Amino acid sequence: MSNLRHTCWLCLLWSHYQHCPIEIEWHGIWFVTGTFDYDLVVIGGGSGGLACSKEAAQLGQKVAVLDYVEPSVKGTKWGIGGTCVNVGCIPKKLMHQAALLGTALKDAQKYGWQIPGPISHDWSTMAEAVQNHVRSLNWGHRVQLQDNLFFFYELLFHTILKEYNFNTAILHFVFPIEVIMSLPLVWQIMLTAKNIVIATGGRPKYPTHIPGAVEHGITSDDIFWLKESPGKTLVVGASYVALECAGFLTGIGLETTVMVRSIPLRGFDQQMAGLVTDYMEAYGTKFSWRSVPKSVDKLSSGVLQVTWTDEQTGKDQRDTFDSVLWAVGRAPETKTLGLEKVGVKLNKESGKILVAADESTSVPNIYAFGDIGEGRPELTPTAIKAGKLLARRLAGQTNELMNYDNVATTVFTPLEYGCVGLSEEEAESRHGKDSIEVYHAFYKPLEFTVAERDASQCYIKVVCKRGGDQRILGLHFTGPNAGEVTQGFAMGFQCGATLTHLKETVGIHPTCAEELTKVNVSKRSGLDATVTGC
Amino acid sequence: MSHYEEVKVHGYDEFCKAVSERKGNDIFAYFSGDIDTQGLSWCPDCVKAEPIVRGEMSHLPEGSVFFYCQVGERPYWKDPNNEFKKTLKLSGVPTLIRYGTPQKLVEEECFKADLVRMMFTED
Repeated sequence: MSNLRHTCWLCLLWSHYQHCPIEIEWHGIWFVTGTFDYDLVVIGGGSGGLACSKEAAQLGQKVAVLDYVEPSVKGTKWGIGGTCVNVGCIPKKLMHQAALLGTALKDAQKYGWQIPGPISHDWSTMAEAVQNHVRSLNWGHRVQLQDNLFFFYELLFHTILKEYNFNTAILHFVFPIEVIMSLPLVWQIMLTAKNIVIATGGRPKYPTHIPGAVEHGITSDDIFWLKESPGKTLVVGASYVALECAGFLTGIGLETTVMVRSIPLRGFDQQMAGLVTDYMEAYGTKFSWRSVPKSVDKLSSGVLQVTWTDEQTGKDQRDTFDSVLWAVGRAPETKTLGLEKVGVKLNKESGKILVAADESTSVPNIYAFGDIGEGRPELTPTAIKAGKLLARRLAGQTNELMNYDNVATTVFTPLEYGCVGLSEEEAESRHGKDSIEVYHAFYKPLEFTVAERDASQCYIKVVCKRGGDQRILGLHFTGPNAGEVTQGFAMGFQCGATLTHLKETVGIHPTCAEELTKVNVSKRSGLDATVTGC
Repeated sequence: MSHYEEVKVHGYDEFCKAVSERKGNDIFAYFSGDIDTQGLSWCPDCVKAEPIVRGEMSHLPEGSVFFYCQVGERPYWKDPNNEFKKTLKLSGVPTLIRYGTPQKLVEEECFKADLVRMMFTED
């Protein structure tokens, strides 16, 4: 039998040279070195997958983690860490910060800073710095995995769940690999495990029905890895991904248009969503409302020409852009897993895996969580927490289930929006308009005064139960550092905070957050909700 | 004849000069406390890590350069303002880095042959 130390570089199972006790099939020749049972195999090395597997390893379980990134249509790919680290939260927040700093530089002059000459932004400098940070996170994860005696498999192509057998699920990984001679080789590696966890997340959707969309457009998978500025950009979509991207692109000085079919930030409180987009419009982002893209063509000059239908007039419009960014939704990564063969049930519409409260799927010993789970929030912190609890339950350490309620979030648009609990619409729908009381206030951050910045959209809304203890049902805040402001209040919310609790809390002065403790004008009263000076 | 080049340097200036002469190469650098006449460093972790790092050097990529850099004597190293700490942002010795990338292994991480090999073979 061949020495696996030599053949292993071919199958790219780096980190596994010393003991490759797995069955390898190569062109029908079996190199059998022995069987290996894992306690846990986690498919997906993102926020959820890594948290789950690291927790399991710390509890003494034998864990294998598999991660694979199908390159985007444009060819972008990245290292371990999943969406959040590589093409989501992390690069997004850093680029958002770059944009905020641009605004801060403008404000700085009013505060006395002598800034000679006009300020300009260099995309390449920002992109390189952001990409380097992401790479350091990739490396950090790799070192951690290696450290914990993981077996980390970097799959080049597809993972196919082939058979299910009693207490052991057998995963068949098939990967065509191009080796030196450019001959495709097919490797099959079989891992056996007591439990399997699927945490493969999702990827951005392309509107494939629009001619030119796939060939000429990019998605959030690509924007953070561009080496050169995207230039004049059309962002299609009204999700937080679309608005956040359009927000920082505008902030760094690029001419940006957002194309919205119907409403912004579907699922979020619509009054707050309106404030977010009003601010963006006031700060230079163009919005093309009620517009549906029809086609994308590349002109001889290299620019992209987009034709769209203005749904209000019914007429077609046309304009040119350097880049078109599709932010029209995300699709779950289940297609290449061959789940039907094993019997894991999916939601027909969304394609996501149907999961129970304990993250179990329709097949015993196979679990799924994170973005891939039907009905789950598409957020990193919930995936991380759910993953850790799942690992603990599988190791027999706890029975605690993940609590998906009361999860606070923040949209990092130029004017940030943080919230926890129900939107006003949702509260009305659940409790009835007469059974809720909405307290609100328009406030002005102190820092905006000297900077002569418009604060028209800085707003707070506390939705409470009417009468009784006036329990807080939802809390909404637009303003600077919304994430930092909301986090603390989220704990109060988790503890069942009431309006009385809020009013009994003494504010920290001078801050924006203190305005939450001072709300006293209800919408029902019709009184002016603008906060006056202190 | 090995497939990589080993360059021994001593001190920050010598290190920087030697690196600038080899731009365009895949550069790895191992920073260690100074070696005495017996071949032992004042840094016990460096003494422990060196054979482990050397044991993995056969995995270095073709055409790469491996710098063995002695940083200086113990008092120099302990000074928080020394150039290695200030400019190269080293936090401890031994440190193994892949120059120009975020890949680095610090102190006890250098004791793990797996991690060293991972850095040498990473794409």
